[in-house]
Amino acid sequence: MAATILIVEDSALVTDAFALLFIEAGYAVHSARTVADATRIGKEKAVDLMLLDLTLPDGSGLDVLGALREAGRAPRATLAMTGHTEPELRQKCLDAGCADVMVKPVPIRDLLRQIERLLG
Amino acid sequence: MSMSDGLDSAALRKRLAALEAQGEEARQTIDELKSRDALKTQFLSNISHDLRTPLAAIITHAEILREGMLGELNPRQHASVSGIVNGGQQLIDMIDEILTYVRSASDQVSLVRTEFSITEVVDQVKLLNEALSAKKRLTIERLNGDDLPPVYADRDKLKHVLGNLIGNAIKFTGDGGRIWIKFARRGVDGDELLIEVGDTGRGIARDHYELVFREFAQVDSSPSRPHHGTGLGLAIARKLVELHSGRIWVESELGKGSRFFFTLPLNPPRD
Repeated sequence: MAATILIVEDSALVTDAFALLFIEAGYAVHSARTVADATRIGKEKAVDLMLLDLTLPDGSGLDVLGALREAGRAPRATLAMTGHTEPELRQKCLDAGCADVMVKPVPIRDLLRQIERLLG
Repeated sequence: MSMSDGLDSAALRKRLAALEAQGEEARQTIDELKSRDALKTQFLSNISHDLRTPLAAIITHAEILREGMLGELNPRQHASVSGIVNGGQQLIDMIDEILTYVRSASDQVSLVRTEFSITEVVDQVKLLNEALSAKKRLTIERLNGDDLPPVYADRDKLKHVLGNLIGNAIKFTGDGGRIWIKFARRGVDGDELLIEVGDTGRGIARDHYELVFREFAQVDSSPSRPHHGTGLGLAIARKLVELHSGRIWVESELGKGSRFFFTLPLNPPRD
């Protein structure tokens, strides 16, 4: 069965682009726009990898990871995405349990390679 | 007290009161300008962030096409889609430059110091600019520096400074020109490093030595100017150098080239 990716991102434009990419690459995809939605979907569905935007309308993306970990439903790997590179922010994500932090727009080859590595 | 003294002191009191009122008015104007400036900075920051999101989506879609994930492209289609990716990337870089400026202007930037080799960073920036300089048949040379001690500074920020200086040199130097990077130790114990980025480009008039470091300032700001950009590169470079307690300046001659210099303390206090 194809691995499942949950895209957590408040811009539908960005989600659509990633969904297209991941489906073409052979993954199953869910998407969520808010912390609340992402937490609900993460608890309901089996998610292998979460692509997590940090700025969401109702809070920080890291809150999703926290809630899922607490519920024992954390995905096998979480990749954080940010708009900018600040060393402090990067460390915060790694401390929260993200496997890596990528700066948007993430070159798609790098992204697919990273996902393959994390799920391999 | 004579009559004239009395009159004088009454006049003086009046004058003093008027001055105080003027002072208060000036303070209010300054406060208002400051808060307007802060508002503008916040606006710039928000708009830059909001521009980035749809642009990221455009680039990702174009990359999906370019990689042939939705079907093989012929060479002309590939070239056209590559144009979208490259143009989008250039736009993102400009937006990032604005964001960096906004953060440094509102003192939101702090240094993350580590020990590293400055020559390694120069070589890295050279490598990143290779394609661009090859297009104009420019030579970029690092003339010395192999024997320098490591610096204790913010690597990313110095890379940004060098990137901006070398990027400008490439932009403003005509085909076949020369660009060089040179180091010198200065100060009593050689505890200050002087870094020079020079070029044989079009040069800057003496009247503009200061102007080029001002935000949004471009020597030629007409819409038809041959070189476009945010006009923030050198303003950012100055902020980042000053954060390191260094100085930055230019020496130049029109038509002959420019030499940008900045200093860096080699032994800054360690936290």
